[in-house]
Amino acid sequence: MTRATHARPAVADTPSRPRVWLDQHLHSLAFSLGRVLRKPWATLLTVAVMGLALALPLGLSIVMDNLRHFTGSVQQSREIGVFLKMDVAADAAATLAGRLRARADVAAVEIRTPEQALAGFRQGSGLGEAIDALGQNPLPTLLVVVPQGTDDAALAGALEALPEADLVQHDALWRRRLDAWLGFGQRVVQVLSVLLGLGALLVVGNTVRLDIQSRREEIGVLQLLGASDGFIRRPFLYLGVWYGLGAGLLALGLIGAAGLALRDPLAALSASYGSAFALKGLDALHSGVVLVGTILLGWLGAWTVTGHFLRQTRPTET
Amino acid sequence: MSVLRFDSVSKQYPGGHQALVDVSFEVAEGEMLFVTGHSGAGKSTLLRLIHLSERPTRGTVLLGDRNLQRVRGGKVALHRRQVGVVYQDHRLLTDRSIGENVALPLILRGTRRAEIGKRVRSVLERMGLGHREKALPSQLSAGEQQRVGIARAIIAQPPLLVADEPTGNLDPTLAAEIMELFAGLPERGTSVLVVSHDLPLLRRMRKRVLVLDHGRLVDDISPQDLAE
Repeated sequence: MTRATHARPAVADTPSRPRVWLDQHLHSLAFSLGRVLRKPWATLLTVAVMGLALALPLGLSIVMDNLRHFTGSVQQSREIGVFLKMDVAADAAATLAGRLRARADVAAVEIRTPEQALAGFRQGSGLGEAIDALGQNPLPTLLVVVPQGTDDAALAGALEALPEADLVQHDALWRRRLDAWLGFGQRVVQVLSVLLGLGALLVVGNTVRLDIQSRREEIGVLQLLGASDGFIRRPFLYLGVWYGLGAGLLALGLIGAAGLALRDPLAALSASYGSAFALKGLDALHSGVVLVGTILLGWLGAWTVTGHFLRQTRPTET
Repeated sequence: MSVLRFDSVSKQYPGGHQALVDVSFEVAEGEMLFVTGHSGAGKSTLLRLIHLSERPTRGTVLLGDRNLQRVRGGKVALHRRQVGVVYQDHRLLTDRSIGENVALPLILRGTRRAEIGKRVRSVLERMGLGHREKALPSQLSAGEQQRVGIARAIIAQPPLLVADEPTGNLDPTLAAEIMELFAGLPERGTSVLVVSHDLPLLRRMRKRVLVLDHGRLVDDISPQDLAE
């Protein structure tokens, strides 16, 4: 028998490794997108469950950020109110204010005379006639002290010791409690983020697992033909990426819609308190970070499940 | 130079079943041979060892000069690209066209797209399927599907092609056609090992035949002996 020597696949047939890598990735990308689009309802369901699971901690996190921002501005007003005794005259109050301004731990002192306080009360309370019926001004002189430095409590203690002082109003305890509540809320958001992020991961993992099951035979054929683990895994990883991207976009959309729905009522509420507070959403950078995070989540879910499957289907390594 | 060599190969499965016992043979470059035997004789195990779906309990399997015992991890996939496989049930991907099925081994090797298209058309022409490139496997007859399977197995010009009962589901005429296709491969540099228990077909083909019985290689019949 004559045996013609035929060349094995020539080296020239094979492009460079980066080109092969890029080609195979593009192929997997397009193939996985095709699979996503061929099953629109299943895809929508997966993306919706993931998106909702991610929107909740994301929304809570934004609420917490806004609360922190809001309370930050409250906390910046660290004023201590010193109500003077009724018998302290205006000039004595001015002298005391001067003495306090000289202290190193005081940034500023403002005097609010009984007349100013009464006028403000009359305007704000609508009880003008009742106040007129009193005959005399019952309000004391108030010194509004703005502390300098960090030890507000020590300053408050020193102010309480003043013989002219009747009552010192300092909200340190309230602020500490608020801080504790904010810290607790932040931790709740973190725990929810982890739990719901894990939920999203499992959703992707389970969806990819079902997809692997439905394509088990095809994967088996590819393995027999010499497909590497990477080649088999790649379309599933891109599937996870598409799910993650879809879920991220949906979560951002839901947060945006919720923000729009809350904006006007919140503006009206804060205006009624004389505040210009406005709800702050996610900027482009943070939205990008969220999208990258959800894509990574989808990728990780798919990677875990395909890795488990590939380990199970390897030939005996004895 | 041998393409494939079994050296005192034994295979015992975890349950204790002894599938192969001390089997030794060689397949020469450009040779076509058959492996036959009753059901349970060890034919499928032999193919699984070549394809690294299993590993021998004892002995050595060499593909060219590569000891398959040392092929591990990611290299298993590379090894499988060197062996074309044809199955009785074709194992085509049902949601991909004939052309896409045949192209798979080249895609796995990272061959250029233009080259893939050229070689797919060429091999399908050789198999008489040039006009069915866009068809789905379900639109083809059993014989045509088997030819697609062969096209896929040989498109990357592997040094060895193994076929597991490739004509088991075909009528005698189609079976003869398929065997003629196999018989033409050694001329193109691919050695062919066909597992079959179709004795009339084996007699007609007049190729070397290895006979397995209860895991032992009990006969190695040359074409001349077969003719006699």
